[in-house]
Amino acid sequence: MDNVHVLVIEDNVAESDVLIQTLKKHNYTIAGTAANFKDALTLFYSAKKIDVIIIDIFLNGVPDGISFAETINTVPNASKPFVFLTSSTDRDIFERAKLTQPFSYLMKPFNELELLYAIELAVEKFYEQNDVFSNEEEDTVISSEYLFIKKGKSLKKVLITDIIYIEVEEKYCNIITEKEKFVILISLTKILKLLDSNTFCRTHRNYIANVQKIEEIVPADNLILLTGDHRVTLSETYKDIIKRARTLR
Amino acid sequence: MSIMSNHLTTVFLFIFLSPPLSLFSQQETNITPFDQELKNKSAKFNNEANFRKSRTFFFERNWDSTLVYSMKQLNDSENNTELIDYCHFLRGLSFQHKKLFKEAEKELSTVSSVFEFYPHTYMILGVIALEQRRFQKAIDYFKKTEAYTSEQLSGIKKSNIDHNLGVCYLHLEQYDQAETYLLESETLYEEQKDTLALIRAYGNIANLYYNQYKDDQAIPYFTKAYELSKKTDKPGLKVNTALNMAVVEENRKNFPLALTYRKEYEKWNDSLNDQNKVWEVAQIEKEFAVKEKQKEVHLANTEKKIKETQRNGLFYSAIVLLLLLGTTIYFYREKVKTNKIIVAQKENLDELNATKNKLFSIVSHDLRSSVQALKRSNKTLSENLEAKNLETLDTLLHTNSSIVNGAYNLLDNLLNWALLQTEQSYFEVTSLPLFLTVEHVAHNYKTLLLEKNIHFENTLSKSDKAYGDQESIKIVLRNLIDNAIKFGKTDGFIKVYIENTQDTYCNLIIEDNGIGMSESTRQNLLKKEIITVEKENKDIIGSGLGWQLCKSMIEKNNGKFSIESELGKGTKMIISLPKTI
Repeated sequence: MDNVHVLVIEDNVAESDVLIQTLKKHNYTIAGTAANFKDALTLFYSAKKIDVIIIDIFLNGVPDGISFAETINTVPNASKPFVFLTSSTDRDIFERAKLTQPFSYLMKPFNELELLYAIELAVEKFYEQNDVFSNEEEDTVISSEYLFIKKGKSLKKVLITDIIYIEVEEKYCNIITEKEKFVILISLTKILKLLDSNTFCRTHRNYIANVQKIEEIVPADNLILLTGDHRVTLSETYKDIIKRARTLR
Repeated sequence: MSIMSNHLTTVFLFIFLSPPLSLFSQQETNITPFDQELKNKSAKFNNEANFRKSRTFFFERNWDSTLVYSMKQLNDSENNTELIDYCHFLRGLSFQHKKLFKEAEKELSTVSSVFEFYPHTYMILGVIALEQRRFQKAIDYFKKTEAYTSEQLSGIKKSNIDHNLGVCYLHLEQYDQAETYLLESETLYEEQKDTLALIRAYGNIANLYYNQYKDDQAIPYFTKAYELSKKTDKPGLKVNTALNMAVVEENRKNFPLALTYRKEYEKWNDSLNDQNKVWEVAQIEKEFAVKEKQKEVHLANTEKKIKETQRNGLFYSAIVLLLLLGTTIYFYREKVKTNKIIVAQKENLDELNATKNKLFSIVSHDLRSSVQALKRSNKTLSENLEAKNLETLDTLLHTNSSIVNGAYNLLDNLLNWALLQTEQSYFEVTSLPLFLTVEHVAHNYKTLLLEKNIHFENTLSKSDKAYGDQESIKIVLRNLIDNAIKFGKTDGFIKVYIENTQDTYCNLIIEDNGIGMSESTRQNLLKKEIITVEKENKDIIGSGLGWQLCKSMIEKNNGKFSIESELGKGTKMIISLPKTI
């Protein structure tokens, strides 16, 4: 599991210090800090591993924060979840900020709970999977690249291509990567829908395997051997996978 | 002699076409034999409307109309020669009667020789010549007429022609010829028993002889004419004959007789003049009466016009006045209405202003005391720092921070209040996750809760939701929790929970077991007016602004706010928000 990388855009050093401190305390990694519109854009396009952006609306007295959000929104698929930081609920500013969908904001002064909640909300809204983290039934948002998992008060992420297979157990899912093994809360139907069906294949009522990680298929024993000596059962219902595996090779 | 010639001319006028009064007085009808002839012969053109009219007017002696309609008929292109001849003939006659002799001659000369009344044209032309005293020419015309048979000259009497010829010769002083013709006409008139014509004939014969100084032959004729005229009722004839007799007797030096005739002449002349005068006077009177009538009518018309104008003027001015009145009333009422609104607004504004002033004074007083306390505390702080009294420093810092917190809350409320009043704030009602909202707000009070050792319990579930604007609900919760802590007992508790008893609202309850409040305080808190709260605890900072803010905010979220409290036991703050569906 990796830390979520946060880009902080804030012109007030005292405030950005508090922000960074709080984020670090909850195991977020700071991808960078920018104090103006230009630096922010440079950072955004150079740093590769940004997951979430926290943007102060007013940079040096002008609402450049909104301009930044508008700019990154113009390039399709390049945008990231972002949270607006503001100290006033001025209507005009809010109406403008609202146009940069999806819109989530954080009111100053804020406490750590509000900050963490705002980040979670931004991720949910951005990947269009609302009410995941505030819900007791689920704790994972799936993007095309990562699983964002709520661990305690903060968020963690797992690279999807690292997953070898997923074992479903009632409403839990065991995620097995090369390095670790952990449990997430998500329904089977949802995970099947959100994962790329070219990469992930159901092999059994309880198993979803990463096709890329298949080493060998043993139809006689109803077994699939995966990287790292992992093995999953292959049931009759899902034997079609053999054909797919062949075509892949 | 002058009398004579005068006499003669008068006679000519009556000869042929003269008004039937003189020639045919015995007949009541206006139709002369000639007219009858004309009527019968032209009857075949009765289907021509204009000709028919023209003819009718001719018989009525309406010459002008005859001329107009005959001209109309002539303008009609499709006429046959006979019809054209009739028209010209009628026109000629009409012109002759109007004494327009040249026009008459012109018209008559265009009549073709085959025309039925062609011989008559000579007769008429002759008469015209006679009228113009061109006697030789007249004789030529009459001679031509003589050449025709009486059949062809239907309606013209031979006696008339003879008489006219006689008159012409008389004027030319060819007495032999004149004698022949006049005597001829005399014989014919006697046969016809035409008294009037006979009188003229006698008169002319008498003149004829008299002019030749054959007095013996002349006088019997004068006497005959005089005697005959006595039997008629024509004053004109009587005057002439009487005058002739008088002149004759005078010349015979028989003055007494001449005087008698002269007197008779005078008498007849007077009666003639009288008749004329009476007629003239009547005419003038009639004219005058007509004029008077005309004047009266004119006057009446003028009066009517004036009256109408006056009436119209009155009518319009009444309308204008009415309109003016209406407008004035309308504007007056509008003004009264506006004034009422203005007065109401003024009262409202005064009230608001008073409230604002009160708010100002309370807030500034509170702030001043906070800052004052901070100043004092800082002074003690520096004193203690010099003395390196570290334990006291810690407590002092805590005090300072709580003072600052209080002041900050006050300022925050003030700001939010201002924003709410001016509606500058962003406000969006969404489905709110109540549990998290309460958690987020309560997080700020962790230290305070710990200090007072108050147990805080949030028993909401993550799925509890209600409609509201996140920021304003947070402000409300902040104030209520702050209050609960402020008025809570040390080692007490604060519980936040939901009561789902209503269909449309869910009640979020914040309960504490603090000092509570009296019923009157509770009532005061819920009143509409701002800051009427008498502080029960003078040492606890608060202006009542927080309360008002909470009430207004909840109202704006379409919610309700109520308080349940018992002095010394605790308070329940109840926020009712619309349920999510």
